[in-house]
Amino acid sequence: MSTNRKFLISVGLLFVLWIIVALISIFTGTYSIDPLEAFSNMDELSQTIFLKIRIPRVLMASIAGGTLAISGAALQALFRNPLASPFTLGISGGASLGALLALRSGLAVGILGFSMVSISAFIFSILTMLFVYSVSKVGGVVATGRLLLAGVVANFLYSAVVMFIQFFSNFTESLQTMRWIMGSLDVVGFDTVWKTLIFVIPGCLILLSSTKDMNLFGLGDDVASSLGVNIRRMEKKIYFATSLAAGAVISVTGPIGFVGLIIPHILRMILGVDNRIILPCSFLFGAAFLTAADTVSRTIISPVEIPVGIITAFIGGIFFLWLLIRTKKEIIV
Amino acid sequence: MATIINCSNLGFSYNGTDVLDGIDLSIAPGKMVGILGANGAGKSTLLKILCGVLKPKNGEAFFNDKALSKMDRRDIAKGIAYIPQDPMFAFPFTVNEVVLMGRAPYIGRFEFEREEDKEIAKRALHTVGILHLKDRLISEVSAGERQLASIARGLVQEPEIMILDEPATYLDVKHRTEVMNILRELKEERGISVLAATHDIFSSLLYFDEIMILKDGSVLAQGKTDQIINNEILSTAYGIEVIVRKENGRVFVFPNL
Repeated sequence: MSTNRKFLISVGLLFVLWIIVALISIFTGTYSIDPLEAFSNMDELSQTIFLKIRIPRVLMASIAGGTLAISGAALQALFRNPLASPFTLGISGGASLGALLALRSGLAVGILGFSMVSISAFIFSILTMLFVYSVSKVGGVVATGRLLLAGVVANFLYSAVVMFIQFFSNFTESLQTMRWIMGSLDVVGFDTVWKTLIFVIPGCLILLSSTKDMNLFGLGDDVASSLGVNIRRMEKKIYFATSLAAGAVISVTGPIGFVGLIIPHILRMILGVDNRIILPCSFLFGAAFLTAADTVSRTIISPVEIPVGIITAFIGGIFFLWLLIRTKKEIIV
Repeated sequence: MATIINCSNLGFSYNGTDVLDGIDLSIAPGKMVGILGANGAGKSTLLKILCGVLKPKNGEAFFNDKALSKMDRRDIAKGIAYIPQDPMFAFPFTVNEVVLMGRAPYIGRFEFEREEDKEIAKRALHTVGILHLKDRLISEVSAGERQLASIARGLVQEPEIMILDEPATYLDVKHRTEVMNILRELKEERGISVLAATHDIFSSLLYFDEIMILKDGSVLAQGKTDQIINNEILSTAYGIEVIVRKENGRVFVFPNL
């Protein structure tokens, strides 16, 4: 099949999948809403839940899942390594700490509509990425062992600081942070959604505009450069865009793990490795996946809501294990 | 005289050490030129400068009398194809996908390959004789086939010159001959110039019109192949004594043990 048709078909199918999952999710929950009633005579309570809670939450799940997955795919291209993702590189940890610091230092105010929490998360993300990239690159090539170690080290350092802050927090604050660090999507109203989108849309557009360069980058620095890619500019774009988008998402949802790792993986198994297909599909599939996971987290022991991060980490962990066993040699190149 | 690539007094240093110094080179269109020299003589660096991947410290490299530093990267890619010594394939692309990537300079940021591009890729795969491997993963084919795929990738750039860094080093004698034959065919049938670094003195004698020998980052000798390959020059270049013997119009080179 030609790349062009493969792109249209896979993007089309995944878009439909996302719509279906989103619709199911909107009408499912502790308080169930009848789809037929929704558009005719909804009572006030249903209307509030529908508009202020369900729809924003499904949108947030979609944005978060999509952003984490597309960032994972882009980072895997940048690091030329299938194990890169916002989570494994310590970027999630960095963004969490950045967001937490902004919250606790009373900087949780908006400047010109931009949330300081997101900006702080962005700054910590990009610093983490620069650290991990420079530490793991040996002689122009990213060494897998160093990459993962640097990510682990970054995560440890950040969680030490987070725990330090936790230790001096009061009970309510501490509980709040705890829930958020587990990864959770309970947003109320559209406000948060818009504030996240301000960062996510430009970030994702930059990534989507670089997919061709990412492919060429997979042939090595020299070949990519000889084919017209400005390597340094491409690297900077990916740093900037993933930090911007993933940082903003993580500052709202907390570090939801493994989405960025498993989604691109599954898609590559089915669709091949062309980033022009993998990146847009990762966004759509990630959106559908996290929306579904969130629906499960809201309903599995309803009315109790488990943080969605627990669900994704659980699924992700099993998947990762299976991947490691299945592809014993290939995965660590 | 028209030149496709030329440079004068080219220099490059890496971490303060001179890697290349005072290189003068001109390649006439439709010629096959080899660069010989010991490991670390500066061959790879020179090739990377001549295809615009590295910027020289001194001097300037020209393609069709235009300075590479003033050309758009994509325009360079339409004229010069570069095939490195040990190409990297970070992800398991198919052979066809790898070859199609050579069309990148002709395709816009948000575009996919057109039918025309696919046709060009198909012809290139046919030319190098691996059309049957089109849908195989690049990670699954042999080193020789990967090298042929890289050459096909260079070919679809529709270049005027191909610059290759040790195109046959990792290959057995059959594949080595195959690669060199293909390069000679490209030169003779399509007028594509070839500039290749090599350690293979024997095939240099058979295939290259001209030879340049580098030693410690400078040009030791340069000229027609049969004039350059003599025991004095080779002994100096490689630092061991060699014997060059001519018999029945063929030249044999041995290390003097």
